[in-house]
Amino acid sequence: MLATLLRRRALTFTNTIGAWTGYEWARNAAFGSAGLGLLYGLHFGFWRLLKYLATVELIGVLLTWKLTAMLLLMTLSMVVVSSLLTALTTLFYSYDLKFLLKAPVSLRTVFLDKSLESAFFASWMIGLILVPYVAAIMRVQHLGLAFFAGFLVAVPPFLLLAASFGIGFTLLLLYLFPSSRTRDVVWVFSSLSLTVTYGLVRFAEPEKLIRPDALKVVAEYLNFLQAPTAPYLPSWWLAEALRMAAGGNWSGWAVRVGGLWAAAFAVYAGLVALAGKIYFIGYSGAQEGALRRREHRFTRLPEQFFLKTRTSAALLWKERTTFFRDVKHWSQILLIIGLVFVYLFSIRRLPLDSAELRSLVSFLNVGTAGFVLSALGLRFTFPAISLEGRSWWVLRSAPIDIGGIMREKFLFSAVPIVAISTTLALMTNWILEADRFTSWLSFFALLTVGLAICAMGVGFGALFPNFLVENIHQIESSVGGFVFMAACLFYVGLTIAVLAAPMQMHFAVRFGTGVWHPGVAAFSAGGWLLLNLVAFVVPWQLGRRALENHE
Amino acid sequence: MIRLEGLGKSFGTHKAVVDLNLEVKPGEIFGFLGPNGAGKTTTVKMMTGLLKPTTGRVLVGGQDMVLDPIAAKRAMGLVPDEPFVYPKLTGAEYLRFIGELYGVALPDMKKRVPELLEMFELSPWGGELLESYSHGMRQKLVLAGILLHDPKVLVLDEPMVGLDPKSGRLVKDIFLKLAQRGTAIFMCTHVLEIAEKLCDRIGIMIGGKMIACGTLSELHAQSKKEDKDLESIFLSLTGGAEYSTLLKYL
Repeated sequence: MLATLLRRRALTFTNTIGAWTGYEWARNAAFGSAGLGLLYGLHFGFWRLLKYLATVELIGVLLTWKLTAMLLLMTLSMVVVSSLLTALTTLFYSYDLKFLLKAPVSLRTVFLDKSLESAFFASWMIGLILVPYVAAIMRVQHLGLAFFAGFLVAVPPFLLLAASFGIGFTLLLLYLFPSSRTRDVVWVFSSLSLTVTYGLVRFAEPEKLIRPDALKVVAEYLNFLQAPTAPYLPSWWLAEALRMAAGGNWSGWAVRVGGLWAAAFAVYAGLVALAGKIYFIGYSGAQEGALRRREHRFTRLPEQFFLKTRTSAALLWKERTTFFRDVKHWSQILLIIGLVFVYLFSIRRLPLDSAELRSLVSFLNVGTAGFVLSALGLRFTFPAISLEGRSWWVLRSAPIDIGGIMREKFLFSAVPIVAISTTLALMTNWILEADRFTSWLSFFALLTVGLAICAMGVGFGALFPNFLVENIHQIESSVGGFVFMAACLFYVGLTIAVLAAPMQMHFAVRFGTGVWHPGVAAFSAGGWLLLNLVAFVVPWQLGRRALENHE
Repeated sequence: MIRLEGLGKSFGTHKAVVDLNLEVKPGEIFGFLGPNGAGKTTTVKMMTGLLKPTTGRVLVGGQDMVLDPIAAKRAMGLVPDEPFVYPKLTGAEYLRFIGELYGVALPDMKKRVPELLEMFELSPWGGELLESYSHGMRQKLVLAGILLHDPKVLVLDEPMVGLDPKSGRLVKDIFLKLAQRGTAIFMCTHVLEIAEKLCDRIGIMIGGKMIACGTLSELHAQSKKEDKDLESIFLSLTGGAEYSTLLKYL
């Protein structure tokens, strides 16, 4: 029966591709090429880093594998967090569950089908990022295709195991707390604990361990490099398997990979067995809406005090109300708050000795904070249009124009994103004691980056709307999500590039090695304005037109 | 009040609706019938601005739905075939939202929302999130939303689906009263009995084309089955009469 269920997915996929028009083929080919370009860019970055590490005498190889283990540990944690959210919607709120559970299909089969879908959506994009890294290892260490084949065999059980943790947690949560109120509270507390744990790990300053000067003797440092990174987690087994494959120790590789596959099968079999007993109880509880009476008072909406039209105020009010009532968003907000604290803490711990270096880092902070803002845009702004879902008809048949809907989405996401971008800029500049010129430049640059990411998020979200998705991860991991992320990274990179000229002149003046060239400054300002004009206008207009013609 | 002029819609090579011409006057209830896949929902979507026509145009109160969609939509209310509404709003909040979008004055909303909830027997649930509503309750809420802004044109796609008998009767009476007040009503339905009792004129669509249109007696004449009910007329016009041959597959 599982084969039948999986066949329907294969048919859906082939039918979708078969229905593509010539334009869609061309469009997807263009976006696919852009995606490959992005992966190549990542590969290039990894290659430069690994090449540098390889030049470190004596410990170069050790450093490479330590970095690999850390990267895989990070991948593991990202897939776990991602699967927590995906499993909740896929396993308990999918539209087709009503049909599947009515059909003469065993509960375990339905669980297998939905949990595999959940694992796929939670892990494929994160798994894909590993490919350019592994290719970089191959290039630096001159490894053959056998190494890559070894990686391809080892990765699926690793990702499946990581996703199993999230799926298992969600399964138990829904079983133990079938009441929606209690479940919401537990969900938020779980997110809070995750955030606190993340913060605690970061505040323990693990980077001290990879800095030789922080350890007393060389022997201690070497011990650290040789010691396993979280040896009981699958990320270490995969790291070990890759290290052994690279060294030609294929029997060692086979033992680790065999262990990974066996563990994945065992954990998944355990989950399936458990699901037969508890999945339906959780599903049944999830169908009960939260009964909690909320009295609505017909007074002026708060949004009407600062928005001139009633329609805009009503749209914003609806967005705010529905957003904060969805407990799934709370966990993300908590994680973001944790992320901001950890980001600022990391900036504070940077070993920067001179004032010039601190100012330079303050400028480069536009790039790293821009990356963080892009990720936030992908999570919150880009899906905003698609999340109207099947209720889209309400807005589409109402007397409001598409531009108005897009402006409201922009406004709703611009407030928090600009708050985060300005907080990151101001706090970083304050922590680093950057000079006045750099502080103002990076502040305005980040303010604009935040706003541009919101505009691009709404624009690309309108360009790639999907009102039939079941969870936010399907929107993020769609072609549109990928294009949005690539566009954001490209925009942030170009921002750094066009603002580099005034920064260079500023330092030249400071060191007494050069003077200000107003022409260069004007050219740079013009480039920056043009870049932002394109970022604000092009995706917005394309998206608006696409949404107006969406069928 | 609502006029369709040479309306057509193609999806690739498939022609879903072909050269549809129709006018529904103020106070008239027009029933739109047809087998599944006939193009009824596509027509409704074009009429309400959810789809752009490939050919022709839709005029609502004289306003072109493509050229001036805001004005056309302001005069119109839609009940879709699937009443999807925001699960995280309460019933009263949904009505407030609709009222704001259609420019209903706040004092009117304050008075009308409790009345409408009461009328559809939703008062005990007015403060609950819509995720806890049944299909029928959501259908009633969408209808309440339409009555709140009192449009001149009503477009209804299977409005009776999911309603209990009492609510069904109430909704029928509401439609009749609205028509008496001059509202033009365009209703898609598969329930022939409702069409027969409620509609002033009936159009039958098949394969994207309107094959018959008129009052019940005019349809009788067109089908040459004067002594039969609407079901027989419908089956004879849509080719469903040979359904008995299909039973052999059972």
